[in-house]
Amino acid sequence: MTGPAPVRRPLASYVVGSTGLRRPSADAWRTAGITVGCVALAMALAALLVTISDGSPSEVVDALYTGSIADAAGWSQTFVNAAPLLLVALGACIANRAGVFNIGQEGQLLIGAMVGCFVALRLQGPAWLVITVALVAAAAGGGAWSGISAAMYYTRGVNVVVTTLLLTFVAAQVVQFAVLSPSLLQEQGMGNGPARPQSDAVPEFLRLASFGQYPDLTIGVGAILAVVATVVLAVLLGRSRWGFRLSMLGLNPLAARHAGIRASRLGGSALVLSGAFAGLAGGVILMGTVFRLQPAISNNFGWDGLLVALVARSRPGLALPVAVLFGGLRAGSSYLASTGVPSYLVDVIQALLVLAFVVPPVLSALWGRRIRNRGAVPESPARPSAAAPAKEEVPV
Amino acid sequence: MSHDRARTDGLVPALELRGISKRYGPVVACDAVDLTVQRGEVHGLLGENGAGKSTLMKVLMGLVHADAGEVHRDGRRVEIDTPLQAAEHGLGMVHQHFSLIEPLTVWENVALGEPGRIDKDAVCADVEAVGKRYGLVVDPTRTVERLSAGERQRVELIKALRRDPRVLILDEPTSVLTIAESAALFDVLRTAVAAEGRGVILISHKLAEITAATDVVSVLRRGRLAFSCRTADTSAPELARQMVGRDVSLHAEGAALGLVVTDDPAKHLSPVLAGGLDAVPAEPPAPQVSADVQGTAALALHGLCVTGPDGRVLLDSLDLEVATGEIVALYGVEGNGQATLGDLLSGLLEPDAGTVRVDGTDVVLDRPGALHEAGVGVIPEDRHRSGVVLDMSVAENLVMTDLRRYSGRLLMRRAQVRAQAQELIERFAIRTPSIDAPLRTLSGGNQQRVVLARELSAGPTVLVAAQPTHGLDVGAIEDMYARLREAAASGVAVLLISTELEEVMALASRIAVISSGRITGVLDVAEASPQRLGMLVGGEAA
Amino acid sequence: MWLDDGGTVLASALRLTAPLAFAACGEYLAERAGTLNISVEGMMLSGAFGAIAVGSATGSPTVGLFAGALVGLLVALVHANLSHRIQINTFVVGLVINIFVLGMTSFLLQTTEFSRSQVGVLRVPGLAEIPLLGVLFEQRWPFYLLLLVVPLTWFLVNRTRWGLELRAVGENPQAADVSGIKVNVRRRQALMWCGVMSGLGGAYLSVGLVGSFNNNMTAGRGFIVIAAVIFGAWRLKGTLLGCFLFGAADALRLALPSLGVELNAQLLVAAPYLLALAVMVVMAKSQREPRALSKPFERGLV
Repeated sequence: MTGPAPVRRPLASYVVGSTGLRRPSADAWRTAGITVGCVALAMALAALLVTISDGSPSEVVDALYTGSIADAAGWSQTFVNAAPLLLVALGACIANRAGVFNIGQEGQLLIGAMVGCFVALRLQGPAWLVITVALVAAAAGGGAWSGISAAMYYTRGVNVVVTTLLLTFVAAQVVQFAVLSPSLLQEQGMGNGPARPQSDAVPEFLRLASFGQYPDLTIGVGAILAVVATVVLAVLLGRSRWGFRLSMLGLNPLAARHAGIRASRLGGSALVLSGAFAGLAGGVILMGTVFRLQPAISNNFGWDGLLVALVARSRPGLALPVAVLFGGLRAGSSYLASTGVPSYLVDVIQALLVLAFVVPPVLSALWGRRIRNRGAVPESPARPSAAAPAKEEVPV
Repeated sequence: MSHDRARTDGLVPALELRGISKRYGPVVACDAVDLTVQRGEVHGLLGENGAGKSTLMKVLMGLVHADAGEVHRDGRRVEIDTPLQAAEHGLGMVHQHFSLIEPLTVWENVALGEPGRIDKDAVCADVEAVGKRYGLVVDPTRTVERLSAGERQRVELIKALRRDPRVLILDEPTSVLTIAESAALFDVLRTAVAAEGRGVILISHKLAEITAATDVVSVLRRGRLAFSCRTADTSAPELARQMVGRDVSLHAEGAALGLVVTDDPAKHLSPVLAGGLDAVPAEPPAPQVSADVQGTAALALHGLCVTGPDGRVLLDSLDLEVATGEIVALYGVEGNGQATLGDLLSGLLEPDAGTVRVDGTDVVLDRPGALHEAGVGVIPEDRHRSGVVLDMSVAENLVMTDLRRYSGRLLMRRAQVRAQAQELIERFAIRTPSIDAPLRTLSGGNQQRVVLARELSAGPTVLVAAQPTHGLDVGAIEDMYARLREAAASGVAVLLISTELEEVMALASRIAVISSGRITGVLDVAEASPQRLGMLVGGEAA
Repeated sequence: MWLDDGGTVLASALRLTAPLAFAACGEYLAERAGTLNISVEGMMLSGAFGAIAVGSATGSPTVGLFAGALVGLLVALVHANLSHRIQINTFVVGLVINIFVLGMTSFLLQTTEFSRSQVGVLRVPGLAEIPLLGVLFEQRWPFYLLLLVVPLTWFLVNRTRWGLELRAVGENPQAADVSGIKVNVRRRQALMWCGVMSGLGGAYLSVGLVGSFNNNMTAGRGFIVIAAVIFGAWRLKGTLLGCFLFGAADALRLALPSLGVELNAQLLVAAPYLLALAVMVVMAKSQREPRALSKPFERGLV
């Protein structure tokens, strides 16, 4: 290390509104008000889109409702979708807290699924052991992938956003390669027709269990895992020394260093951990729902999980309901086909929702500043200006 | 660039401000300020930090919009909404922290911020012509990042003068200059003024500079114009009194305002202060140590070398020792390695070579926090940069360097954090709405107290105070001085890094002078004079 | 024989380079002004879609081409105002825009019918006969717009006052601000240029090369553009070289099977990203990157 430590801006402080910042309540109310307005606007835009493409908004709402929360089966489907979203979001919360903005969860999830698949298909042993090892391996794979970005950042100062983004596309090709190589993961042809670009199915006994029986509510191991992780992480981020140190690092890296924090170790591990959560999500998808490694297995869960974290402002406790909301939208989207409205509508809605939650705090702070400044026009008592009415004078 | 407009009419002032007011929320930065600058006059604007000087000038430059008031140029009222308009109305500014873009060349920087097409050849010719006229030689095609501080100052001046300003404003122009460079600068100002009838506003908080270089002086105090007269008709103590708003009798206060108190400081100590802090010795602790105590020094720096990312040498085998109970000042012009040393002692960077020894033990410098654990407390130069986390609470800021003391294996012990915070808030008289308030909501002085409280609460062997009074008002400065003396009296080795000659003379028992990252000399305060220190600062042996 | 193959591959490389080159001109300029714009992907995709939609509606692929540029500009306006007016983190904005555009174009593609729309080939007589290099003179006509756009971008950045101010804003916004430059206005303008160029690049892909629009048509080309700017170390020449290299890699991938050469296709697809990552690691300390890249500017916020 030579020269002064580079001043790295705490990304966390403006990615997600300052984490841990306590805002005055007047601003909080204003923010809530604007958020409601923005969400309504987002919904209106979505309805408009449906209308101009000859759909019926009420049918769309009906379909989304039916598919997500109308009955136990819907809820089951919502939870299946919410679990990987939540896992990815939890990882993003950790990285954001530490001020490293990881946007490559999609790729980390893919790598996780690939490594998990490899273990599940190759490792012999009792089911519980293979399942555990496969999930751990999936997390390790995702963590290793984001670890590349961490290494590049902390040894060479290369921008984390760029490396995680670019590595996502490399990951897609790695997986593509794996499922196209018979020596790696490509399925063993069953005799009829050429082998497709996907892996063999994970055997029945290695699939993640779910509790409950269709049509009753079923809850998968993945969802339970995600909820437990949420609780643990909420406590750790809020109450533990580790959480304290992460926040310090994210909000002021130099003060953190003065306090004895090695950014490369704490921040690097946060980045690895965030990748590990994405990898775990990949493992859960593989062994809980899809069962085969396919290039499209990630199905935007990585991107959408990141959006969940953004809406939840990097708070695990908030990520849970947001993940359920996004999971519900995904579950509902499969019912859209009957209305003739393409399921892509849900992607549009999600993007609009993120804006509806990200914009208001900023707008509110901006307006707050403006209101405060306007309310305090200082007409000096010595020289009252004719332009301003006297009653606006503020006693000093 | 004609200068026949000069002195055509001595009665119409070059610049007149009437009733300028600006308020930020509840804070009144400027309160109906009137100011008149005549042609051919150097007008000193004096005031404490936060007195409203900067706001006033930002209003003039169109960077801040005044809530009320008028600006008149040559008797005509003008509206200034943007820096561009300010330039059109003949106002030029040299900013305290340079407004140069380092990767761009000199001529590109000079051309920046004007309207119209750019013409490289014309700008280069201008740079050379202006440089020749005022004796400010600089190569227009060089990249700014390769220039020294003095050369950059020249570029700033050329940039302002090229636009033929009728009024030239300089904001703390000497903060990065040596005494010789400052003298050369004031020479140029005289030439520009005397020969060409431009008005000059010289903003400073240094009394010596104002009394030496200006014709007229105005004093701002808490946003109001407190005093204005010809420099020849007043005196430094009078100006100091006007800045603070009461008699300046305290030694510390005098130093805070930039008065070198040459006679016995004990006589100046008011009973109020002495009574309030009976543990504090009335004078700087006598130099208890000298070179023969090597090895037992509380803090010993040996052969520290640091090279910047651009290859510049920031510290050049620096040696320095501070003994227990002693205040040693590291004095020099800004930008000569003080910031680097401060960062190094905060544990923010590792040296290429050299050792830091605390109480006779070498500190492992590549481990963050090692210095803190070894007993080095630091009040950093820029507290917002590395001293505090603005978005965390006061309590969290008070404990953040010793988390292990306030946590179990995993979780923080909240009650213990609160108790410690409560105690420190009382002991150090930190004014805060609550211990859970974000640090951001505290005033600068109270934020600084949080840093001081935290660093002293760890029971340090060494306290490094880097520019500890920057940006504080006089009351807070006095308090800081008292606390530093108190710390030294209780056996802490204090290293005071400062660019303020008066502060150094008032507090330290020994003064080490730094220039270009080297120690050029160490003097006992008794043998130090502004002249000798000035020569050392310039890199010459005294 | 190899000349024919070489010519085919070169022709294909040029075709695949052009959309990248258009967008790279925009991204280069935006990054010089301090915005690492990841929504370039969304701008290209929306441009590609807009071009086909308008081309198919008006029956004129040329009108479609320029409509594509306008749609890119529209996306840029949204990004610019969110990130350089109300100061939302530019990566968050870019991410959301990319997801939004992808969802929106896919949605509209399924709900609307589009007819084919493609601009014509402009063959320069004589020159097109040159062996190997002749393909340069036998391209869809908007290809030749590059001859205008590339020098123009260079001139804007390096010779005009606007460009000088952009560079100042990208290097040190605080200093630029006190010099009287409207930092966020310049950054918004730079993004708008990026939007127009990226929209044009996307439009070239749809109404130029393919004649129709398909789902996620750009398929990460915007990110390749970002890689190209990094590869070129924030200089236009290097950036364009990067575009050509990456275009050629793409062309090779498509041509290899027919040439009977065994080379890993996945490696070729990943090559641009890997190259950019390698360049970043090697050049990290060279200080060619604009110093205020992706750092927001607000007065009083240092």
